[in-house]
Amino acid sequence: MTTSAITRDTFEVFGTTAVLLVTRPGAIGQARAIADGLLAQVDLACSRFRADSELSRLNAADGKPTPVSALFADLLAVALRAARLTGGDVDPTCGRALTGLGYDRDFADMRAAGGAPPRLTGAVGPVPGWARVRLDRGGRRVRLEHGAQLDLGATAKAWAADKCAEQIADRMDCGVLVSLGGDVAVAGQPPPDDWAIRVTDDHAAPDWAAGQTVTISSGGLATSSTTVRTWTLGGRQVHHIIDPSTGEPARSCWRTVSVAAGTCTDANTASTAAIVRGAAALDWLHSTGLPARLVRHDGTVETTAGWPYGDPGDAA
Amino acid sequence: MPQHDIRAATQVREAGLAKISMLTWRAGAAAVAVAGLLTAALGHHSAARAAPAGHRNEHGAIVIPAQPPGQTASTGQVTSGAS
Repeated sequence: MTTSAITRDTFEVFGTTAVLLVTRPGAIGQARAIADGLLAQVDLACSRFRADSELSRLNAADGKPTPVSALFADLLAVALRAARLTGGDVDPTCGRALTGLGYDRDFADMRAAGGAPPRLTGAVGPVPGWARVRLDRGGRRVRLEHGAQLDLGATAKAWAADKCAEQIADRMDCGVLVSLGGDVAVAGQPPPDDWAIRVTDDHAAPDWAAGQTVTISSGGLATSSTTVRTWTLGGRQVHHIIDPSTGEPARSCWRTVSVAAGTCTDANTASTAAIVRGAAALDWLHSTGLPARLVRHDGTVETTAGWPYGDPGDAA
Repeated sequence: MPQHDIRAATQVREAGLAKISMLTWRAGAAAVAVAGLLTAALGHHSAARAAPAGHRNEHGAIVIPAQPPGQTASTGQVTSGAS
């Protein structure tokens, strides 16, 4: 198989750009259909911006136990696992904090010209915390205590990328790469030279943007950054990665962190946690053995656990 | 310097960097595995403890990749950045 045999599809989903690559000629159409089906289900389950989503209904339930689908239970379990594995640095109960900071609608709508500027609409403070979420996975019921409001943005997109890649590889018997807004998952037999991924601040950046190109053959790679999905609030620039201990956008020494892991979900969990942890993230990533590339605001780069050295031309 | 010498030197350099990167990663993975064994032997628990390389653990730890990212001079097929 040659690189030229790889076929590609690009489309919009979750308010961002998705890219689908498959190694089997003629498989792209069916692969796209598989992805469309799964992504539509995930959106209906956990979009914070759809009144008809399960997440919106749960957030509006005022602490009452609420029945949920098996898919939503899975998505919430993934979010709670991320919170547990990061000591609460990636917390799904950031919903009220994000809404309070003005991130109360799809980001494309926030950017739209002529839209009302975001306003601080809620009190700032620590988020309720993931321990306030009661998930009865077998009984498929969820209860949110103490006014907790969910946002599954830190894990749901990456999990969807993993699931799309897994299902497409299984059903189409080919190598596949799924990128959902820069959250990258691969599955199946990779191309001979593996999958080449450019890491940079913004998934929509042009090819020549500062960064580094690396290859992966399995698992996932994700990047979190404070430079994208930003808006102005009361004269200051804020971003979407919330520090659960303050309920405010994380004030990190890193502007961008990329992590490779066994899954895209774990890669995104670690990259988000690294932004929140700041300087302490270096030791944490070293100790967990996760290959990562961390970029400071001045563009200097640190790497961990076997992340390849970049060329001078890759300077951030 | 002739063009072919520059190419050869570049290839040698890239191969060397790749070897160093792989050795560093293997040493790190071995250290993590030893740390995991010691932790298990001593009965301690750590939420952030890594699983052995490539081991898929749904609940216990963030899973490290089967192998670290590789170096390449080619252009990216996709971009990983924030969205």
